[in-house]
Amino acid sequence: MDLVTVGSQLLVGLSRAMILFIVSAGLTFVLGVLRVPNVFHGSLYMIGAFSAFSIATSLGQHPAGMWVAFVTAPVVVALVGLAVERALLSRLYQREHLMLILFTFGIMLILNDITKLIWGADYRSILPPPILQGSAIVLGVPVPRYSLFLLAIGPLAAVGMWLFTHRTQIGKLARAAAVDREMVALLGINVDWVFAGAFVAGAYLAGLGGALVAPSTSITLGMDHTIIIEAFLIVTIGGLGNIWGALLGALLFGITQSLGLLVWPQFTIVFPYLAAVAVLLVRPRGLLRSVW
Amino acid sequence: MKRHWVLMLGLAAIVGAATVVVSPTQAQAPRLGRNIKVGIVDTYSGPPAIFSNDALNGFKLALEDINKAGVLGARIDFVTRDEKFSPEIGLSMARDLVLQEKVDLLVGTINSATALAISAFAREQKVPFIVWISKSEAITGARGHRYVFSAGENTAMAGRAIAEFVSRRPYQKWWIGAEDYEYGHAVTNSFWRFMKRVKPEVTLAGQTWWKTGEPDLVPYLTAIMSARPDAVFFGTGGAGMSNVLKTMRAIGFAERVPSVIHTAIDYTALKPLGPNAPEGVMGTTDYLFYYPETPDNQAFVRAFQAAYGGPPGFPAFHGYNTAYFIAGAFRKAGSLDPERFIDALEGLKIKTPVGEVEMRTCDHQAVLPIFAGVTKKSPQFDFLVASNIVTLRGPEVMPTCDDIRRVRGQ
Repeated sequence: MDLVTVGSQLLVGLSRAMILFIVSAGLTFVLGVLRVPNVFHGSLYMIGAFSAFSIATSLGQHPAGMWVAFVTAPVVVALVGLAVERALLSRLYQREHLMLILFTFGIMLILNDITKLIWGADYRSILPPPILQGSAIVLGVPVPRYSLFLLAIGPLAAVGMWLFTHRTQIGKLARAAAVDREMVALLGINVDWVFAGAFVAGAYLAGLGGALVAPSTSITLGMDHTIIIEAFLIVTIGGLGNIWGALLGALLFGITQSLGLLVWPQFTIVFPYLAAVAVLLVRPRGLLRSVW
Repeated sequence: MKRHWVLMLGLAAIVGAATVVVSPTQAQAPRLGRNIKVGIVDTYSGPPAIFSNDALNGFKLALEDINKAGVLGARIDFVTRDEKFSPEIGLSMARDLVLQEKVDLLVGTINSATALAISAFAREQKVPFIVWISKSEAITGARGHRYVFSAGENTAMAGRAIAEFVSRRPYQKWWIGAEDYEYGHAVTNSFWRFMKRVKPEVTLAGQTWWKTGEPDLVPYLTAIMSARPDAVFFGTGGAGMSNVLKTMRAIGFAERVPSVIHTAIDYTALKPLGPNAPEGVMGTTDYLFYYPETPDNQAFVRAFQAAYGGPPGFPAFHGYNTAYFIAGAFRKAGSLDPERFIDALEGLKIKTPVGEVEMRTCDHQAVLPIFAGVTKKSPQFDFLVASNIVTLRGPEVMPTCDDIRRVRGQ
């Protein structure tokens, strides 16, 4: 096992971590601000992927189709999130967590069936934008151009989230509400709309993750289950409600998996979970400060 | 009261007319007395439904023809149940079909675990069960019995066919990359078992397993490529297969490492990727709608296309054959008795789109040929097709009857 092999594995592992980070960041943000363990976050991710497919294919063979999908599919998902939040979730914030888990689980099943009604049970596939197709040779190893693109998008998304939470009014209010929601309400701020905004932001991130994963995988029913388990794990090891914790958790998850492949390829599946167990044994409340 | 009387008269007239119409056939052949009822258990929701619906379409297409002539004065009817890809649900559906709906035989399913569960139930109830999609070799192998049949190929046939096909090429050092589920393990084990038998000098450099639904396979395939094996066998299918093909194309895997996957040349695997599937991947399947170019196959494809708007995949081929196996066996048995149906189905030869296929007596496995080839772009279709097709005849790829007796511990 030479350094080049380790380096290229690290690179592809990091690119996988980027999508995990974007999806987990949305989940952890909603968890932190609204205190809702959103089980249907994975369904929003799946709808993001299916929407990206429909948007890109409806524009035919146009090379810009996928770029349009990257921009618009997350917005579609954000609107779905807004509708669900206003119609259902907003009435239930005061319930206990177990009820919220059951409730969001129910919505997951409903969104699943709606996805099946709209797109059918067939699995779909789309390609990256033409400029990102094929591979580039990095360290003598072919790496998909699309993975390199994800490597660039990840940090951009992180910076975008920092700007949103620290530089925008709603972001600041959401952070404040995460710490002390009564205080924010006492200041005369409509917490209802802060919550709606935070939920929409979380849904947007799920949709963005779905749109970004679409060109690199098969888009299929059931992709929501896989991601939601991983995302909850990442959020837990990162510290509940902490976006930077989600980043750390996602990096840990992606890198242990890709490097595990070099150590013991037959049992790679267990490495990220072993890492999670190790972290939780040492730091039961996660790597970074939990807002809970 | 008067209306009641008129109704009775009308009914009597209809019954009389029906007797007159039907009676000519009665004189010539034994009649079954009532229609044949087939109970189908399969996955009609979720991603596997594409395969199940394809099989059902093939079955329905054959029934149209069969019921036109009738089977000894009766027709074949069917009811379907959705097992939702769960053996527990599948088993209770089968129980309902046999005990409540009183079906004459069971047919299904895409899920190997469900097929094995229903098979055990069929044996206990002494009801014939024909498996039409799932590929676990245990169905007609180690766990086979008098009441279960398979109309499609299985992992033993696939593994042996692939081993025969690739042993003609100079690959020594192999790597295995597979999805961690029942079919992934079954097809991989079978391939490697036969590979060692056909070409004892091969070595296994390593193996990589990923979980079902793993969205990003780039790290996995990159690691395999770094290990520089002579060739790779991939144990995957369905949506997982499409992921492997997509990743292969993104990193130019097949150009660098020769790769083989069972069903990689299959229409159902290649269609979702359209023209963007990777070229040069070796694969096998038991049905191709464009090969062999015989009048029988072309007629089947034309009829299927006209009815369902697309070409048939391998499940449609199995479903079509299943209908003819059922009709043929009831005609030969001349009775609805399940034991006589089984005796008639054993050794029965039917005409299929790819030639005559026999239901082998010793293990109740349809003797199907396996086609091997390499994926290639086609000027004719907007998806990839198989090129350099080699046909491995049924007897060349089937486990022998002695093998079957051995695994069944007889």
